[in-house]
Amino acid sequence: MLEISELRKVYESPNRVVEAIRSLTFSVGEGELVCVVGPSGCGKTTLLRSIAGLLPVSGGEVRLAGSPVTGPPPRMAVVFQEYGRSLFPWMTVRQNVELPLKEKRVPPSRRAELVADSLEAVGLGDAADAHPWQLSGGMQQRVAIARAVAYEPQVLLMDEPFAAVDAQTRADLEDLILRLWRDLGVTTLFVTHDIDEAVYLGQRVIVLSSSPTVIMEDLKVDLPAERDQLTTRSLPRFGELRGHIYEQIQRAREAR
Amino acid sequence: MRALRRAVTWFGLPVLLVLVWWLVSGGSFYLPDPLKVVRAFWDTWVSARAFEDVLPSLGRLLLGYVAATLLGVGLGVLVGLSPRLRATLEPVLEFFRAIPPPVLVPLLMLLAGIDTPMKVLVIVSGCVWPILLNTVEGVRALDEVLADTCRMYGVRGGSRLRRFVLRGASPQIMAGLRQALSIGIILMVISEMFASSSGLGFTIVLFQRQFQIAEMWSGILLLGLIGLALSFLFRLLERRVLSWYYGSGAARA
Ligand SMILES: Nc1ncnc2c1ncn2[C@@H]1O[C@H](COP(=O)(O)OP(=O)(O)OP(=O)(O)O)[C@@H](O)[C@H]1O
Ligand SMILES: [Mg+2]
Repeated sequence: MLEISELRKVYESPNRVVEAIRSLTFSVGEGELVCVVGPSGCGKTTLLRSIAGLLPVSGGEVRLAGSPVTGPPPRMAVVFQEYGRSLFPWMTVRQNVELPLKEKRVPPSRRAELVADSLEAVGLGDAADAHPWQLSGGMQQRVAIARAVAYEPQVLLMDEPFAAVDAQTRADLEDLILRLWRDLGVTTLFVTHDIDEAVYLGQRVIVLSSSPTVIMEDLKVDLPAERDQLTTRSLPRFGELRGHIYEQIQRAREAR
Repeated sequence: MRALRRAVTWFGLPVLLVLVWWLVSGGSFYLPDPLKVVRAFWDTWVSARAFEDVLPSLGRLLLGYVAATLLGVGLGVLVGLSPRLRATLEPVLEFFRAIPPPVLVPLLMLLAGIDTPMKVLVIVSGCVWPILLNTVEGVRALDEVLADTCRMYGVRGGSRLRRFVLRGASPQIMAGLRQALSIGIILMVISEMFASSSGLGFTIVLFQRQFQIAEMWSGILLLGLIGLALSFLFRLLERRVLSWYYGSGAARA
């Protein structure tokens, strides 16, 4: 579905050249949920923006369903790391979620249904008429998630979407993503710095090195498909995987 | 009690100023007392003159202001969205902005005559710069995460312009419009002082030449009241358009 081959990105400005990504090659199968972990500043956001076609790459290419990505593809949705800035402050929550659907020319009745369902799913059913700046950071983040979900994308990219929520909400949102992913069969690439979260959510976990970035490991998560916050996290295998990835990241840090 | 305090803060200073005026106005021929001016105001402006002089002036102001808004915002969006255009145009724009618009009156008289077109052009030529430059600034400062969001979710063309560019730049656009409003009033008067046979500015100069001092003062009073009313209307509009901006605290940050 999504193929990234020898992707390379160098930021060049007059006084600074940063090799954010040296070379990344991996692919994400149709309907797969892949998590990407790596230390801060290793280029996770850069990777996501390149895949989304928002950033010109310095080398290599990204292919979606066989054709090269040169601009934002239709049917791809992104939850940005700067979730607060990705919501239009002059629109209500409902209007924010509805806007992409309007652009897609979804008929009004279906639109209302999608908006209501997605807001309900993230637990913001009664905040629909508020403006984003009247909500807490975690609520804003959930609006951004609801907007992506309502869009009914084929591919969903998420950049540390749960960074600003408390542990309980976070667990709920993780289960929400798993449920949506299962129900809609949407191909998902999920960036996080939380190793536990990556193992809990992912079918695969891709571990990135620190900058200049390469792939340290592409790990298959061989846990039962049915995930549950309590039982999955207390499986011995969960602990092993988590320990293994932790070690890798530790090594990535030291190698710097 | 509360209402009383409000009344004092609102009307306290104006009342005080009128009192001071009364005290100092005693002897001078050129500074009549407030009562005389108010009487002159009533006799002069609450009459056919309101239709012959005041309304046409305001009409030209409105016409020039609207034209300057369309021109300034339209051009400002174009320039703001294109870095190349901005780099080439910015020095030129700053130069034109630096020219005091009243000096254009003689020139525009040559080009456009002395009638309504000239006066409207003078108003446009002064009002357009703050609107244009503020719009450019506002469009340039649009949030890039929002811009990416638009690209990602297929918000483009007219929808992008209406829902993202103009709304996002509206705080700066409104600031430009506010500056342009006071410039517009000044130019409305000045354009009528040069060569004219009607209008507010013309009438005030006429009274001065005929030593109708109280009437002249009443004209000045009228201009002040017009300015006050327009700025009040503007504030109402601003509250509506920018409620999200004041609410979000972005205005305070
Ligand atoms: N627009 C830019 N111009 C120049 N350098 C940039 C730009 N964006 C990112 N970088 C650099 O690229 C590297 C990777 O940044 P990136 O934001 O992709 O990291 P990240 O993995 O998302 O970090 P975090 O986990 O903190 O979000 C950093 O060294 C950063 O300084
Ligand atoms: Mg990042």
